Amino acid sequence: MPLLSARNISKTYPGSSLPALLDFDFTVDRGEIVGLLGPNGAGKTTAIAIMATLLKADGGELAISGREIRGRERRMRQDLGLVPQDIALYPDLTARENLNYFGRLAGLKGTCLKERVAAGLDQVGLAAHAGKRVRTFSGGMQRRANIAAGLLHSPPLLFLDEPTVGIDAQSRSMILAYLQALKAQGMGMVYTTHYMEEAAQLCDRVAIIDSGRIIAQGRPAALIAGHGRCRDLGELFLALTGKALRD
Amino acid sequence: MGKFIATSLKEMLLLSRDRSGLLVLFAMPAILVVVFTLIQNNILKSSEALDIEVLWVDGDRQALSAEIARRLSAGGNLTLIRELDGEPLDIPRARKAVAAGHYPAAVLLPAGLSATTARRIELQIQAAISGAPAGTRSAQPIPRITLLFDPLAQGALRGAVTQALNNTVLTLEMERKARALAAVLPSADTALISQRLLAVDARRMPPAGLAQLPTAVEQNVPAWALFGMFFIVVPLSGALIRERELGTLLRLRSLPVSPAILLAGKVCAYVTVAGLQFVLILLIGKYLLPALGTPPLAMGGCPLALAVTVLSAALAAAGYGILLSTLVDSYEQASMFGSVSVVIAAAVGGIMVPVYVMPAAMQALSGYSPLAWGLEALIHIFVRGDSLVPVLPQVGGLLAFSAVCMLLAGVVFKVRGSQG
Repeated sequence: MPLLSARNISKTYPGSSLPALLDFDFTVDRGEIVGLLGPNGAGKTTAIAIMATLLKADGGELAISGREIRGRERRMRQDLGLVPQDIALYPDLTARENLNYFGRLAGLKGTCLKERVAAGLDQVGLAAHAGKRVRTFSGGMQRRANIAAGLLHSPPLLFLDEPTVGIDAQSRSMILAYLQALKAQGMGMVYTTHYMEEAAQLCDRVAIIDSGRIIAQGRPAALIAGHGRCRDLGELFLALTGKALRD
Repeated sequence: MGKFIATSLKEMLLLSRDRSGLLVLFAMPAILVVVFTLIQNNILKSSEALDIEVLWVDGDRQALSAEIARRLSAGGNLTLIRELDGEPLDIPRARKAVAAGHYPAAVLLPAGLSATTARRIELQIQAAISGAPAGTRSAQPIPRITLLFDPLAQGALRGAVTQALNNTVLTLEMERKARALAAVLPSADTALISQRLLAVDARRMPPAGLAQLPTAVEQNVPAWALFGMFFIVVPLSGALIRERELGTLLRLRSLPVSPAILLAGKVCAYVTVAGLQFVLILLIGKYLLPALGTPPLAMGGCPLALAVTVLSAALAAAGYGILLSTLVDSYEQASMFGSVSVVIAAAVGGIMVPVYVMPAAMQALSGYSPLAWGLEALIHIFVRGDSLVPVLPQVGGLLAFSAVCMLLAGVVFKVRGSQG
């Protein structure tokens, strides 16, 4: 049974004639990282918002560990973690204060909360900066704190929306290694990125989405092999989605 | 409960680190209440001729000038200042002090006033008895009392001082003439001179529903406290919009917590801040303003009515702040529209100028401002000592306004959310 299962999900925003998502089929297993790749406006954000229970789909079925989500979204959020593309932290709170607050809302308290916060900051290399305001952090430190905040309650399923945008090679390397370690512990992840080499390196499978539809899905090596002219995931992505600008 | 408290504490922590927000919420109403109360208190003093300090330069120093001074002081509206910096006043110093605006008026009595007046009365009586023509009854020059006014003194103040002096002089003149007449006509009963034939009973009607007019303190302390409380609209809507812009709202929505708990925690923090603002302004009214020369603030007799009114006003402001955050797209818009709308609602609602001095059309319009409802309730509590029941209509209005705002905010938020 997949950890996350999305079947025939569709969504059309009010006032729009084109669907943002159509017949979207997607699964994630335990200990698997699945990349969701697509050009700007392809439907990645809508797909993640629906799968993370933040947006209602017009149709289709969505289940976590075999349990249908519809009608019990709030309860199911205990099993989800979200690392948004933006640095979703309060700049005028310290890293520790931010994590304490989000951990409390995730249902942690007392010693458990304290230990998880300390461990989370330590795992992303911010233990020494726990008492500093997030506003004073570098881009890489903010990204790492952003990831720590999404993982406090140890969710079995994590959504990461471009978590390595605009950071240096050291921070990126650390983040990717950390995600690999989480995967080894059995966490399933949905990962969106515009860095194709990063997706190829990190993801067990990728789904390429365009105009709201998944146009290819599978292991990166198998997908590349299936298109003889493409040497890597980047070439495959452009071959499938075209070179026309989207925004 | 833990999530609610965590949200409330987080909000307080963020506010405590927002220096400009604290200035807007606490320093601005504190400064405004002091400035406006002192100005309005001074205007009331000038326009109602209460306790006007007048310089008194007595060149005569005889019985008549002493009697004029005694009667003017006994009138209760004028305080005669005879010395400046411990030295007796003279004409040049009095002129300088009035011209500089340090005092609104000076009364200059010439030397020999008593003697000249007595001589004129004697001559006028003799001439009247002898049947001499009216124009030839006195060769003595008329002694003149000079009144100097600050060039910026209001017309009402000038009129009040002039009238008080004229009335005193005229009465004294009549009494002295009667006494002189009695001296030559022993059979005349001079007591009739001081017996009044007519009396004028002047009363100022209080505004509808009030037993008396609120003092400048009773008007301004609740008014500016409410104004400050409604300014929580700016940081509250700003905080909500920042959460949307930063992406923290997305993270919050992804967590297993009810939006109602998050909102309640936030509202609780801002209502607490509004309560602290009210206490601060109340303390200013109770201790600082009287030290600056205003009447003391009567606190009213019903703390429950006061607490419920303040809570309702704070909830109304919080509701409006939440609604605003769903209607605008950026912090800048919230900041601009929030402050402008609160200032307009304050102006219409009688915060800056009391509603009872507004024209009828404006008074009707003020009935639509939540600040007017809050102010009306607070003035009734302070001035009339009303309990909770008489102010329930205003309290109900504030709570209904809050509920409608939050309901609308919920609808707008849902509609916008469904549009991605």
